Amino acid sequence: MDKDFAARRRRDLIIAAVLAVIAALTPLFVKDVVVQNILILTLMYAGLSQSWNILSGYCGQISLGHALYFGLGAYTTELLFTKFGVLPWFGMLAGGVVSALIAMGLGYPFFRLRGHYFVIATIVIAEIGLLLFHNWEWAGAAMGITIPIRGDSWLKFQFLRTKLPYFYFALALCCLAWFVTWWLENSKWGFWWRAVKDNPDAAESLGVDVFNSKMGAAAVSAFLVAVGGSFYAQFVSYIDPESVMGFQFSLLMALPAVLGGIGTLWGPVLGAAILIPLTELTRFKFGGSGRGVDLIVYGTLIVLISLALPRGLLSLFSRPKKTGAAR
Amino acid sequence: MTALLETRGVWQRFGGLVANSDVSISVGRGEIVGLIGPNGAGKSTLFNLIAGVLPPTQGSILFDGEDVTHMPAAERCQRGVGRTFQVVKSFETMTVIDNVIVGALVRNTVMREARRKAHEVLEFTGLAARADVLASDLVPAEKRRLEVARALATEPKLLLLDEVLTGLTPTEAQTGVALVRKVRDAGITVLMVEHVMEIVMPLVDRAIVLDLGKVLVEGKPADVVRDPKVISAYLGDRHAVGA
Repeated sequence: MDKDFAARRRRDLIIAAVLAVIAALTPLFVKDVVVQNILILTLMYAGLSQSWNILSGYCGQISLGHALYFGLGAYTTELLFTKFGVLPWFGMLAGGVVSALIAMGLGYPFFRLRGHYFVIATIVIAEIGLLLFHNWEWAGAAMGITIPIRGDSWLKFQFLRTKLPYFYFALALCCLAWFVTWWLENSKWGFWWRAVKDNPDAAESLGVDVFNSKMGAAAVSAFLVAVGGSFYAQFVSYIDPESVMGFQFSLLMALPAVLGGIGTLWGPVLGAAILIPLTELTRFKFGGSGRGVDLIVYGTLIVLISLALPRGLLSLFSRPKKTGAAR
Repeated sequence: MTALLETRGVWQRFGGLVANSDVSISVGRGEIVGLIGPNGAGKSTLFNLIAGVLPPTQGSILFDGEDVTHMPAAERCQRGVGRTFQVVKSFETMTVIDNVIVGALVRNTVMREARRKAHEVLEFTGLAARADVLASDLVPAEKRRLEVARALATEPKLLLLDEVLTGLTPTEAQTGVALVRKVRDAGITVLMVEHVMEIVMPLVDRAIVLDLGKVLVEGKPADVVRDPKVISAYLGDRHAVGA
C-alpha cells in the first residue's frame, strides 16, 4: 500500500513534468498573438486557482475575496516601481509578503466564523479593499497607475515586442503553484488542512492546531495569488482598482477549481484549461458587447457541474473505490 | 504513584442547569474505568471537560500530575489524552489510512513514520483491510473502530471512549470489548462512558456512577450493580427497597 502511494505521487510528478514540457514547447507552433494571449491567461488562472485551492479546497475555507490579494500584489509591485523605482521582481516578493500578512491579519478575526458567514466576510472585505483603492489618491485612485514603458527588459520585466517572456513566467507560476500543492499534499500541513475541512472538532481532539492551520493555508494561498497579481500588472502594464481587484477575479480563481475538482491536485489545472479559453473566446467573439456572455458561460457550467458532477470533472477519471470488497 | 487523571470539585453549569456538581474522581494508571449513569447524569459533560472541549465553571482537572484545567483540547492530546466521539466524526472525504495519519502526526513529524505508525494502528484495530477505503464508505461499526484507531495513533496515555460499544450488534460489541482489553494490555489507561451495563460491567476494573451531575457510587462493578442507590437511580425507588 505504501508502494502504491509512493508510485501515485511519482506518477503525478512525471505527468506534471511532461505537461510542463509540452506547454513550454507550444510557442514554437503557436505564433498567433491572440492565441498566445489566451494561453498566458489560462496558465495564469491555472496557477491562481491552484493557489486559491490551497485555502478553499484543501483547508475548506471558501474564499470569494481572493481578488483582494491579486490586487494587493499588483498595487504593491507598481507603487514600489513607479514611486520608488523598486524593480518588479522585488515588488513581486513584497506584494506576496504584504498579502500573506494581510491574509493572516484578516484571518485572525474571520477564521472564527464558520461556513457561509466566512464566505460572506471574504466578499465584503474584498469589496472594502476595492473601495479603499478607488479613493486612495496617492495610489492613483480610480485613475489607476500606468506603468512607464522603458523598453524590453528582463530586469524591469516588461516586453512590448513579444509575449513569450510573459508566457514563460505564467507557466513558471503555474508550475510553482502546482508543485507547492503537490509537496504540501503529503505533509503535516496537507493532512491538517483536510482534517480541518472535514471536521474541525475531531481535528482538534487529534492535536491539530485548527486556527494556525487556517492561518498557514491563508498565508501560502495569498502569497502565490499576489505573485500572480503582480505578474498580471506587468503583463497589462496598466492597473486600476476594477481591473485588478474586481470581483470577477475572485470568481475566476474559484471556478476552475470547482469545475475541475475542488480540493484536488489536478482540478484547478483541468478546470482552467477548459474555462479560460472558453471565456476568452466568447469575449473575443462578442467583442465589447460580449460583456456578460462569459458570465452566462460560468453560470451554465456551475449549474451543470453541481447537478451532474458535484466533485468536479476530475471525478470522471478517478476509479470509484470499491466499497464492499476488502483488499 | 499518583493517579493519571484527577478531577477536583468540578462544577459545570449551563445557564441554570447544573450538569456536573462537585465531581471528584480519579483514574489510576493501567485501569479500565467505566463512567456510567442514567440519561442526563452528566457523563458526557464530564467527559468533554476531561477532553478539553470546554473548561469547567469551577474546580480543576489534573492529568499526569499537571493542571490542565484550562488547556485546549489539541494540547491535551499532545500531553497524552486521546478521545473518541459519541456521534462519530470521521474525516469523511479522506481514506481510512489518511484519517489515522492525522492522529499519528502528533508524535511523528516525518510523513513516512506517521504513515508506518498509522498502518501499525490499523493492524492493531483490525482495520488494515479497509485502509484505502473512504471513511464515508465504512459501516457504522467500522466508523466506531476508526475513531478508536485515530485516537490510538496519537499514542495516548489515557484513552477516553464515549459510548463506542453502544448501538452495535452483540457480535460487534464483543469484538469491541476485545479491542478495549487489547488497548489496556498495551499499557493505555481507559476511561469509558457507557450505557449498556451488561457489556461494560464485566469489562471495567472500576465503575463510577453519576446521577444528576453528582458521583453517586464508585467501586468494583459487582458491588456497584448491587448498590441500592444505583438501582434506584436506574429503575426507581420501588425496586431498590427489595435489594
